Amino acid sequence: MKVLLKSVKIVDATNPQNGKIVDILIKGGKIEKIGKSIKAETGLKVIEEKGLCVSKGWIDLQANLQDPGYEHKEDIQSGLKAAAAGGFTKVCVSPLTEPVRDAKDQIQYIIKQSSESAVELLPYASLSKKAQGDELSEFYDLKQAGAVAFTDDRNSIKNPNLLKNALLYSKSMDALVMNFPYQTDISPNGVVNEGEQSTLLGLKGIPKLAEELMVKRDLYLQEYCGGKLHFSTLSSAKSIDMISTAKKAGAAVSCDMASYQLLLSDEELSSYDTRFKTLPPLRSKDEIKELIKAVKQGKVDALSSNHLPEDIDSKKKEFDLSSFGVINLQTAVPAAITALEGKVDLADVISLFTDGPARILEIDQPKIAEGETANLTLFNPNEGFIFEKEDVLSKSQNSPFFNRNLKGKVYGIISGNKMELQD
Amino acid sequence: MEELSSKHLLGIKDLNPADLELIFSTADNFKEVINRPIKKVPSLRDITIANLFFENSTRTKLSFELAEKRLSADVINFSAAASSVSKGETLIDTVNNILAMKVDMVVMRHPHPGAHIFLSKHIDAKIVNAGDGAHEHPTQALLDAYSIREKLGDVKGKRVAIVGDILHSRVALSNIFCLQKLGAEVMVCGPPTLMPKYIESLGVKLSYKLDEALEWCDIAMMLRIQLERQGQPLFPSLREYHNLYGLKQENLDRLKKVPVIMHPGPINRGVEISSEIADSEYSIILNQVENGVAIRMAVLYLLASAA
Repeated sequence: MKVLLKSVKIVDATNPQNGKIVDILIKGGKIEKIGKSIKAETGLKVIEEKGLCVSKGWIDLQANLQDPGYEHKEDIQSGLKAAAAGGFTKVCVSPLTEPVRDAKDQIQYIIKQSSESAVELLPYASLSKKAQGDELSEFYDLKQAGAVAFTDDRNSIKNPNLLKNALLYSKSMDALVMNFPYQTDISPNGVVNEGEQSTLLGLKGIPKLAEELMVKRDLYLQEYCGGKLHFSTLSSAKSIDMISTAKKAGAAVSCDMASYQLLLSDEELSSYDTRFKTLPPLRSKDEIKELIKAVKQGKVDALSSNHLPEDIDSKKKEFDLSSFGVINLQTAVPAAITALEGKVDLADVISLFTDGPARILEIDQPKIAEGETANLTLFNPNEGFIFEKEDVLSKSQNSPFFNRNLKGKVYGIISGNKMELQD
Repeated sequence: MEELSSKHLLGIKDLNPADLELIFSTADNFKEVINRPIKKVPSLRDITIANLFFENSTRTKLSFELAEKRLSADVINFSAAASSVSKGETLIDTVNNILAMKVDMVVMRHPHPGAHIFLSKHIDAKIVNAGDGAHEHPTQALLDAYSIREKLGDVKGKRVAIVGDILHSRVALSNIFCLQKLGAEVMVCGPPTLMPKYIESLGVKLSYKLDEALEWCDIAMMLRIQLERQGQPLFPSLREYHNLYGLKQENLDRLKKVPVIMHPGPINRGVEISSEIADSEYSIILNQVENGVAIRMAVLYLLASAA
């Protein structure tokens, strides 16, 4: 594959050429040359679009592809297509499938299924067997097979002794432990953010307290045990503050947020539209301001899609009975660009999908430099678009963004010798 | 003919003050009708109404059924216990199956908030909300406001204290919306464990002291304590509830002016209200029940006769 990117702007906060408009020549999966006015030789595919930007390939920290077990909601192939269309070259996948991913053959299944794609899947393994919160899964065996981290995903780890043991045990193989902090006992059967909206709608609320209590507990546990702990998909600025303080004191902790959490508030729920039923719940407009401030201050390490496809039968129900979750692989970065426009520098927004996740996962990400493997996302941050039902590449339609203006159109991804361009 | 601004009655939230006045003036006419020797009018002849109760109800169901029959509608009843809901049928399927038998209107009670709004997006019939979880119970609020209007002449400027389990109460929420739209002031009172944390964002006053609320109000609306809606008990015992929040003679004895006493029923005597007060001259509890039929006739009539 020979590709010439003509007049593309580099968006990469850590790159000396950040903000420069250059030509990039890619041959044999590597960046051969970066320069001005590189001549187009024959047999070269030339990509030239007005306003086109290039960044390191985007990484998603939190997606559930529902495969195996729920292939009617999403399967690996539809998930890969959605990820590529969303500009991701690497996607971390949740272990909450059926069966739960707690054995090495299941790790290998994920890796093998994505071997042909320009998108690389990075499987998480469940922290506990069957993600039931009782016994540790086989960390060593799973890590050897390719598991990049251990998490029970939205089955938050209730038992502090289990998390204690996970953090302690993880140290023998430098494994990364993750938890989605949600103390359900404090708000049984909660379905939306506790606030004015939940009061108006008569729906059971989930206070931010439910998250903050567990963050506090987990920080104590991490301090006691050591080990590396990542907090997934937070929704409270106070939690993020606590984590940031611990980080400054030297704790090996990090956190991410779902990108839609910065754009959508609980006011979307006024007509009980289940497309806006998410976990953690959409918070108030005031909280969104605080969350954006936290991003601005660099307290959030990464943003994620929190992609969770749910079929129509799981969503077309009474609000209480419908499933949590949204699809967001195709819209994750545009949602972030839209929410943070004029507030956070674009290169810093993009690094929440590149350097941020790479640091958390401790993976080497190829630089945009001559001689490096090509691992790139092509996009135009200023191009607006309206996400429509027809654009959905997932098998499920539970997007909160239909008929909404988003900014940041993805043109394609290049990963080594593989390239996937959008129409 | 005047019409309501809404095709359904999903909640008080959707109604404007003109709608409320229209419902009240229509109810005035029907109240006169039901006090005649012949209590029936042919207004809804050839209209079929399905009463779908996915949650237990005695008086609301009776009141609706009576209202429908007094309007000469054809009525069918459905309750969840004896239905295919327990066999896993979805709400939309259940209702569509009933509508396929050519039903014009649906009166529904459902345990989940927003169920009626959800249904209204997917089915064709007109829908009347007879209670959805802890969200709304609009006809109760209408009959309450109607009863206040009847007793005190006007709702505007009156002070209404709603006392009890606000957290689980659709009656409280609908009443807050309705009374505020009519220009009344509302205070909620009850144990902090039965109070939504953000209740004051609705523009109501808040007190945890019964005597304080009684002192303040013109009307005290005592709510039923709904033990069946609580998971972990939110107060230690009914006895303790009665001691702290039950309306007793001694509370009234401390007042300069005794408020009008209301209760949506069914009453737990000796819990939220003592027998002597429930049966006293201050209570308009039975007027509320009578007005319930007139209000429901008005709502059904106005919705059915709209285009």
